[in-house]
Amino acid sequence: MSHDSPDAVREEAATAAGAPAATPVLQRARGVAEVAFKLVDGETRLDRLLQDGCCKMRFPRVYDGRPVAVLLNTAGGVTGGDDLRYGVTFAPGTRAVATTQAAERIYRRSAGLGRIATRLVVGDGAEAEWLPQETIVFDRAGLDRHLDIDLAGTARLTAVEQIVLGRTAMGETVRTASAIDRWRIRRDGRLVYADTLRLEGDAAAILAGRATGAGAAAMASLVHAGPGAEGRLEELRALFDRFAGEATGVVAGASAVDGLLVARLLAPGGRPLRDCLISVLENFRGRPVPRVWHC
Amino acid sequence: MSPEVVGSGGLLRLLTWLSPAFPVGAFTYSHGLEWAIEAGDVTDAGSLEAWLSDVLRFGAGRSDMILFARAFDAAAHADLDGLREIAELGHALGPSRERRLEASAQGRAFADTVRRTWGAPTLDWLMSADLPLVYPVAVAVACADHGVPPVPGMTATLSAFAANVVSAAVRAVPLGQTDGQRLIARLEPVIAAVVDEARHGTLDDVGGAALAADIASMKHETQYTRLFRS
Repeated sequence: MSHDSPDAVREEAATAAGAPAATPVLQRARGVAEVAFKLVDGETRLDRLLQDGCCKMRFPRVYDGRPVAVLLNTAGGVTGGDDLRYGVTFAPGTRAVATTQAAERIYRRSAGLGRIATRLVVGDGAEAEWLPQETIVFDRAGLDRHLDIDLAGTARLTAVEQIVLGRTAMGETVRTASAIDRWRIRRDGRLVYADTLRLEGDAAAILAGRATGAGAAAMASLVHAGPGAEGRLEELRALFDRFAGEATGVVAGASAVDGLLVARLLAPGGRPLRDCLISVLENFRGRPVPRVWHC
Repeated sequence: MSPEVVGSGGLLRLLTWLSPAFPVGAFTYSHGLEWAIEAGDVTDAGSLEAWLSDVLRFGAGRSDMILFARAFDAAAHADLDGLREIAELGHALGPSRERRLEASAQGRAFADTVRRTWGAPTLDWLMSADLPLVYPVAVAVACADHGVPPVPGMTATLSAFAANVVSAAVRAVPLGQTDGQRLIARLEPVIAAVVDEARHGTLDDVGGAALAADIASMKHETQYTRLFRS
């Protein structure tokens, strides 16, 4: 879809806008931001940084020896045909966090899907956290997202992704969207976790069923990997008992597979999902979520 | 003969392999339905139809059929690298411990039995390569090895899955036997549509939105009284 001919793009744009074919083809956003962390005298330091196009990274001062890469899309949102790539490499033994400056907004497109591809490479003994803020998918938006994670040996990982359909606090409903969100996690080259959320068409109708979303407009996946990860299942379940459940409207489940803890959450909106995740993540990790989550 | 018409030998094998009497232990799995019943999400024939129809269209039903179609083609063309990728993806897609058990224990039992009876060289290779073997991939490979065409094989596999969930509901809801069969009759067009869409789906098309069914399978792990292993 991202390689439509210009004519096809103009035609679809015109149809979407109900206007003649004079509608201009919008400039598409492109960007790459990649960072690598290395270990120097037992401390995690910045190794290389590459930034091109609309993708940037910032590194706010931290006081706990755990650097934070804050990802930023200067295009201010994603629409059809955009192509954003992020990469974070955690050398063996390093400890660092990657997050996003703000919620990523996927706007109504005239054609094509907006592509966001993130790759994390986590070396033996490293501790990686992928804690982006939520992605908001608006009506008539198209998202094609890939999260690929390579773990080596005893690498540790805590990763979360949240998708919110429309501005739920304002009562928006997403009736037409194409949202595809893929996770692939490999450990020492072997695929241990694959998950693809695929919402194509009337997202609100698809998620109305008791087997699909039970009416949810916000959802999240959480994965924790590393030595002893499976042994923390009861702890994670107890946190969900405390911070999800009927009072919050959040439904959450957790399991342990192939040396991973895996969890899913469904919520009526972005706010209750975020509140639940902050409480669960802070207690589970024993540290606050990145400061940008509160900006 | 059309490539999708199954001959009498193939039909006999399909009927045998996907029969509830074939020793894969299908009756011990509910695909998380037992928790959905406990939680009050499924209470009668109507709510079961909605739940199961969504699992077929947006959950494991559709993804399993894509895995089946791709595994069939890979086995039929002796594409062992492709088969390895499909086998690994099928396993990694399991969203919870019990759903991985449901998929892999039945896949192993199916492959073990077919290898020791009819025989299936590509199943032999998969087992000797120590690859994970989820149920739809195992059935697809056996069909390819025996010249059973994919659409009848997929239809039989998805129909057996739906019938097994309905059978679990008849025991656990409880639901009348006739109501269960009425529901199976109503699901015929859903099964046909999912198979039709999946036949030419790619591995990139796998995925769905049966998130609450996944959560149900996770919560089933701690359910106090359980008849089923998933």
